[in-house]
Amino acid sequence: MKYIGEICNLSELEVGQVAKVITLTQINRKIRRHLLDMGITKDAEVTIKKIAPMGDPISILLRDYELCICKEDLKNIIVEVIK
Amino acid sequence: MKIALIGNPNSGKTTLFNLLTGLNAKIGNWPGVTIEKKSGVIKNTNYEITDLPGIYSLSPYSIEEEISRKYVFDENPDVIINIIDATALERSLYLTTQLLELDCRVIVALNMADVLQKKGIKINIQKLEEILCTKIIKISALRGAGIKELINNIKIYNTFNKSHIYDSKIENSINKIQDILQIPPNKRFISVKLLEKDERFMNLETKEIDKIRIELEKYYETDLEETIAIQRYKFIEKLKKETVIKKIKTKTFSDKLDTVLLNKWFGIPIFIIIMFFIYYFSVGVIGNYTVDLISSFIEKISEYTKFLLKNINTSDWLISLIIDGIMTGVGSVLSFIPQLIILFFCISILEATGYMSRISLLLDKIFKKIGLSGKSLIPFIIGSGCSVPGIMGTRIIENQEEREKTVILTPFIPCTAKLPMIALFSGYFFGKNSGLISVSLYFLSILIIIFSAILMKKIVYKDTNNTYIAELPEYKLPNIKYVLRDVWDKVISFIKRAGTIILICSIIIWFLLSFSFKLEYGININNSILAHIGKSMSWIFYPVIGINSWEATVSIIQGLVAKEQVISSMSVISGLSEGGTKIFEIGSVFNFFTPVSGCSFMVFNLFSAPCFGAIAAMDKELFNSKKTIKAITFQTILAWFISAFIYQIGSRIEKGIFNITDILMISIILVILSKILLYKKEEKSECRYCPYANSCVR
Repeated sequence: MKYIGEICNLSELEVGQVAKVITLTQINRKIRRHLLDMGITKDAEVTIKKIAPMGDPISILLRDYELCICKEDLKNIIVEVIK
Repeated sequence: MKIALIGNPNSGKTTLFNLLTGLNAKIGNWPGVTIEKKSGVIKNTNYEITDLPGIYSLSPYSIEEEISRKYVFDENPDVIINIIDATALERSLYLTTQLLELDCRVIVALNMADVLQKKGIKINIQKLEEILCTKIIKISALRGAGIKELINNIKIYNTFNKSHIYDSKIENSINKIQDILQIPPNKRFISVKLLEKDERFMNLETKEIDKIRIELEKYYETDLEETIAIQRYKFIEKLKKETVIKKIKTKTFSDKLDTVLLNKWFGIPIFIIIMFFIYYFSVGVIGNYTVDLISSFIEKISEYTKFLLKNINTSDWLISLIIDGIMTGVGSVLSFIPQLIILFFCISILEATGYMSRISLLLDKIFKKIGLSGKSLIPFIIGSGCSVPGIMGTRIIENQEEREKTVILTPFIPCTAKLPMIALFSGYFFGKNSGLISVSLYFLSILIIIFSAILMKKIVYKDTNNTYIAELPEYKLPNIKYVLRDVWDKVISFIKRAGTIILICSIIIWFLLSFSFKLEYGININNSILAHIGKSMSWIFYPVIGINSWEATVSIIQGLVAKEQVISSMSVISGLSEGGTKIFEIGSVFNFFTPVSGCSFMVFNLFSAPCFGAIAAMDKELFNSKKTIKAITFQTILAWFISAFIYQIGSRIEKGIFNITDILMISIILVILSKILLYKKEEKSECRYCPYANSCVR
């Protein structure tokens, strides 16, 4: 369990936790662009909503809609835990 | 006037398109239903409108999204109708901010306005219009509200919009680049794209632009792709604060439903049960009741016709052509329509509710293990209706390798054209258990897909880890009107096939069966042209059905034209041969089939090369005829081995001569197979410790 104020990547959070996006890592330009377009930008608030039965992908709530992302991609999203 | 319909996936573009044009393009509740552009004329006007695949941004990731962007730049539409989902305003407006940078008139259609109140959302449209400098019209595509106003505004709205959304530093740079750029239209848009280093526009790059970019990147401490996206969303957040009031709701209906359907323990079992019932119900239960009814009805008609034709002194050969050729051939296919209706109906419901997206979410992890994506499941399920739309639907898969594999594997799913064969064979040989046998064939197809996927992953394609990024739509009650229309369309197209392809083939088959090479009529069927062709090839299928039967051979080959034709051809042949019986009756040339050879015959037909229609679709999606040929050869050889295996083992069990050597043989085969499946390519040692190995392109 990650605590409030901790900085980590989004794949490490649990259902119900809320975090604020800090930045995206530079790993893959195409994926990075896709995530940016979907609204994962600095200061965006994301909530971990649902986890698929096998633990992957994970559905997150941001900007009033739900987005499913697999763990591998979530690792590229650096966040600060706020709840 | 040219109008383009642009918006996020699953925002209701096609529903609006259908409303405006009166056409009936396919809709569904998952992102990626529309995969090709489609044009029509707006009712009572001469405006040409084009429905485009959904996009989140003008920087596309998948093929179908590239189509939309290309249309905007190459076709230069006069007006863009930007349809946005009022319930996901922020994400929708992100695309709007990009469209407003084009030199094109943009009208915003705020869709799902009817749901807003239910969700406790209030939007100040006037203010939104002011800030965005564009026209916004509330509509509900599903209910058909606001459409008239939208059409009126297309006529009168004439403002070019220039909104300024970035901070002064970037705005200044954009102005500078605009001055550097000379001729092209859409200068503002291209300037932004140049700052972002978008590959499509890098041919316009100059040293000065590079200098501006480097300066800005230093200032923001990150690349401009990120900075610009951040500023766009910041602008939208501010905009939303000023115009939207929203009551916070914690748990929606979709969330509650998902706690069951995406449940850790029940999620996958529920999915399996749903699929099992769809196939069991449509192929088994309904089939048992209806097939006999309809086929006896068709029989009565053909008897009556025969009687009528004889009375008016029609010549023998013409009667034979009409009764034994056309009516038998076409009729044998038509008797399966009730099953098709049920199957099409179930798939259509699945598509309309939003469960499709859940299915791909449920199984993504398993599918990734075998080198596919959870999104591959959507083409597979659509493919159980017809492979062609299934194969085209693979375009929603971003990763090219996964997409190719899915294209090759989709024809393995038994489509509705193969359903007559499944229903006929299992109905005859397994009676009450026919439903179970049919369903087990679907499960066999899943096993074969898994096996082939692993095989391809090991041998042909590199082992890559892939991404999954997809929107999860909310559940919706299916709109029965649209569902029924979808089913109706599909059934009609099936009947049309029976009336065209199957009809022509039946006539050709009748001809080839009734005449010899010397074109004599009234010969023994064994001396006909078709018999000679079949005899020269029947050895190929000896291991599969245990007999040299030219009748079965020619029927199998005709499956290439259309899979329904297998049954059609068998009916025509048994009708024309001595005794003139139905397919499996005593005395028929197909009486040699036993339950085991029936199964192996079906298995070969189900999994060998698909029909020409599907082959053409594969060729189109693989972009490479060599690959298509390889894929078809692979499918056919695999089908031959599996069906031969089933027959060889099964027939020995059937005859009671199954013994220890057989068990030994089977275990040897299994060992070899598992060796192939567990074969692992050696990882390069330098990759093992590399943190980027997963996303490495090498």
